[in-house]
Amino acid sequence: AAPGTEDSPALLQYVKFQSSNFENILTWESGPESPPDTTYSVEYKTYGESVWLAKKGCQGITRKSCNLTMETGNLTELYYAKVTAVRPGGQPFPKISERFSSLQHTTIKPPDVTCVPKVRSIQMIIHPTPTPILAGDGHRFTLEEIFQDLFYRLELRVNHTYQMHLGGQQREYEFLGLTPETEFLGTIMILVPTWSKESAPYVCRVKTLPDWT
Amino acid sequence: EFHFGPCHVEGVALLELWKAFGAMKDIVVTQDKIMSVRLLKQEVFQNVSDAESCYLAHELLKFYLHTVFKDYYHKVVEFKIMKSFSTLANNLFVIMSKLQPRQENETVSIRESAHRRFLLFWSAFKQLNTEAALTKAFGEVDILLTWMGKFYRH
Amino acid sequence: DPGAVVPAPQNLSVHSANMKHLLVWSPVILPGETVHYWVEYQGEYESLYMSHVWIPSSWCSPTPGPECDVTDDITATVPYRLRVRATSGPRASAWSALKPPFNRNSTLLLPPRMAVRKDGSHLVIELEDLGPQFEFFVTFWRKAPGAKEHAKVVRSVGFPVYLGAMEPGAVYCVKARALVRAIARRSAFSQAQCVEVQGEALPL
Repeated sequence: AAPGTEDSPALLQYVKFQSSNFENILTWESGPESPPDTTYSVEYKTYGESVWLAKKGCQGITRKSCNLTMETGNLTELYYAKVTAVRPGGQPFPKISERFSSLQHTTIKPPDVTCVPKVRSIQMIIHPTPTPILAGDGHRFTLEEIFQDLFYRLELRVNHTYQMHLGGQQREYEFLGLTPETEFLGTIMILVPTWSKESAPYVCRVKTLPDWT
Repeated sequence: EFHFGPCHVEGVALLELWKAFGAMKDIVVTQDKIMSVRLLKQEVFQNVSDAESCYLAHELLKFYLHTVFKDYYHKVVEFKIMKSFSTLANNLFVIMSKLQPRQENETVSIRESAHRRFLLFWSAFKQLNTEAALTKAFGEVDILLTWMGKFYRH
Repeated sequence: DPGAVVPAPQNLSVHSANMKHLLVWSPVILPGETVHYWVEYQGEYESLYMSHVWIPSSWCSPTPGPECDVTDDITATVPYRLRVRATSGPRASAWSALKPPFNRNSTLLLPPRMAVRKDGSHLVIELEDLGPQFEFFVTFWRKAPGAKEHAKVVRSVGFPVYLGAMEPGAVYCVKARALVRAIARRSAFSQAQCVEVQGEALPL
């Protein structure tokens, strides 16, 4: 039976990209009838081009994932990936992913934050988030450079009754007017409104210092 | 709101456009079997100036609403995505209606530059058979929204 | 009477407040029969480019009662044409159309309900959750001659949010109005609410 047709055994399923902070990993699952010694080869293509390119390092592999970050790193392009499963003595079984755009599909990881308790305030310092995307001058773009409207939302839960909110595009914030020697729960998220992306929160539990004055 | 150069458009949330297209995208894009052709190529949007953006947005939206959306509707009914289609079409219609690109003499060169970009898209569209062209163009609404997103202000 | 004509629903109108839109009409009375209603809608795009196209309403195809929540169907700020017909068994009435078409920018925006309180020296507000399209413009001030008014846009709703710090012995007041960007409109301000902070008032 011709590969990939209805009656050829399904050696492969769920070929898709998993993308987080622009790290793009192609994953797939073996089919219900694929023997353990099935091997897989990965190719990729830019949407609009005709040539499929083989991904070095993912040819004849047995694992079910392949890192295509560098190959799919152009933010204005869209891509397809193709996995071909081969079982010894059998027909190759190709399957193509959905059209992938890292700008649309990537999820945002929680930010990297340092929470600094003081006597009557808590300072929060958000560190820039590098991505694998390389700029022309070779430096790695940060999320802030890629998404112009990226901003941070900071919430401080005050003894389970109300929340204090700060937010903006700068990286340093301070919640003021707090009670000394009291525990607070801080959550910090990255939001990208244009793409309606919202990271999971970074959470820090901090206690303000005692007031010795 | 959208700021396509001097043209400002209020009352349309980009999030609603993405949500509406997102509800249709999987079924629509998988219909496009021609992976080696992209209608909204990079060159259509490369280095579009603010001044040009109003003309280009108007011309693309007009074509999409007059031709692509209208002539693709039989597929919309077949795939039972009328509700999301209606949300997308009516919101894009609001944007197109509010884009009033100026027509004075000093904007001739800008208009022509925008029109050349549109013709890049249109000529690629014309090279495919109608059904394939409509399917591909509708499937590339995400590329259009990605470009429009650059002119969106919160 | 199986042969009798089913009358078309009459007196269609839309009651819309805070971006919730309810289409209502007079019930069709057919003694001894069960009447259902079917609602369809058309945005400006459909009426201009494909006027034969009508889309079944999300929640009322069919519905037993003489009303239909069309909020989820009205998803753009353009005129929407709505129509209703009644059915009894296999028989159906003619369509009745809403005149004039409905545009959500005519919705009635009410001043938001809010709860203002203090937690120690912190001024705290909780605003009602009116849905994702709403933001709130909140102003607060110390009740004293020449006091400056502070303003904040609050998007978090449904739980108390810190507004600012208060000085002991002072009275602080708060008012809020709702903003809806989708229709570029805002409500009137709510009635101001004030709280007093315990302790010695600081010299001005």
